[in-house]
Amino acid sequence: MGKLRSVKKVRTRESLITAAIRVFSRDGFLAARTSEIAEEAGLAHGTVFLHFPTQETLTATVIEECGLRIAARIHELAERGAGVREVLDAHLRGIGEFEAFYARLAIEGPLLPARARNSILGIHSALSFHMGEASERDQKAGIIRPIPMYFLFNTWIGLVHYYLANRELFSPDGSVIERRGAELIEEFMNMIGSRGSKEEAE
Amino acid sequence: MTGMRLCVACGMPMKTAADFAMGDTEKDYCVHCARTDGSMQSYGEKAASLAAFLVMTQGLDGGAALEAAKGMMTRLPAWKGVGGIA
Repeated sequence: MGKLRSVKKVRTRESLITAAIRVFSRDGFLAARTSEIAEEAGLAHGTVFLHFPTQETLTATVIEECGLRIAARIHELAERGAGVREVLDAHLRGIGEFEAFYARLAIEGPLLPARARNSILGIHSALSFHMGEASERDQKAGIIRPIPMYFLFNTWIGLVHYYLANRELFSPDGSVIERRGAELIEEFMNMIGSRGSKEEAE
Repeated sequence: MTGMRLCVACGMPMKTAADFAMGDTEKDYCVHCARTDGSMQSYGEKAASLAAFLVMTQGLDGGAALEAAKGMMTRLPAWKGVGGIA
């Protein structure tokens, strides 16, 4: 009986997290209500608080668990030894699988509590780790111009987050990453490419 | 979801033997969390190296990076009950 109860408890928690991901993706972290999450999961409102003492705990837990999944996916997709272009592609594919949820993180991130912001830094670190290695290799090979690692990272993140935060303007009918991702990578690579700097110097 | 193992000290997924400390897949921490003798870095060493990583690759202020590093470490298995972490 005890084991059955334990399995049921784990499943209920998973249902709540899955429902919360959907509600946060749709409504945002700050506007979402626990009653809507319970309804989405098909559970009584009080059940939420049996698993998460406060809404803040629920929000932080969901961002943490989803953040780990996104970071792991970026690591999984980014091949060691790849160039910057391939890493950017891995990044977009990784966050693209969670686009609506990640877009909310991009929009509301600075307003969220520290625990949630640290989860966002965790996702960023998965990218910055691979981007750092790739940019060193590409700079040595003369593929990209010398740019501080953090500046390259922040420029890319700023660009991607802008498109995600305004995805209803850039791609009102669907995924902005699917529609504009290839263009973002292409133009970003043109912008940082060493060929561009030589042409400008001439 | 991936079946990759995560480093207990920094959370990095370990895909291949080269990702593990000393290339030893029996270890539960990664190559970046190991000292040169293969032992795992201390809490202070890891917080400092993670902060340095955040400064170098994301441009954070040094103090903010150290705070963020400690915050990120609170969720990792290796640091439960260490460095004031409950």
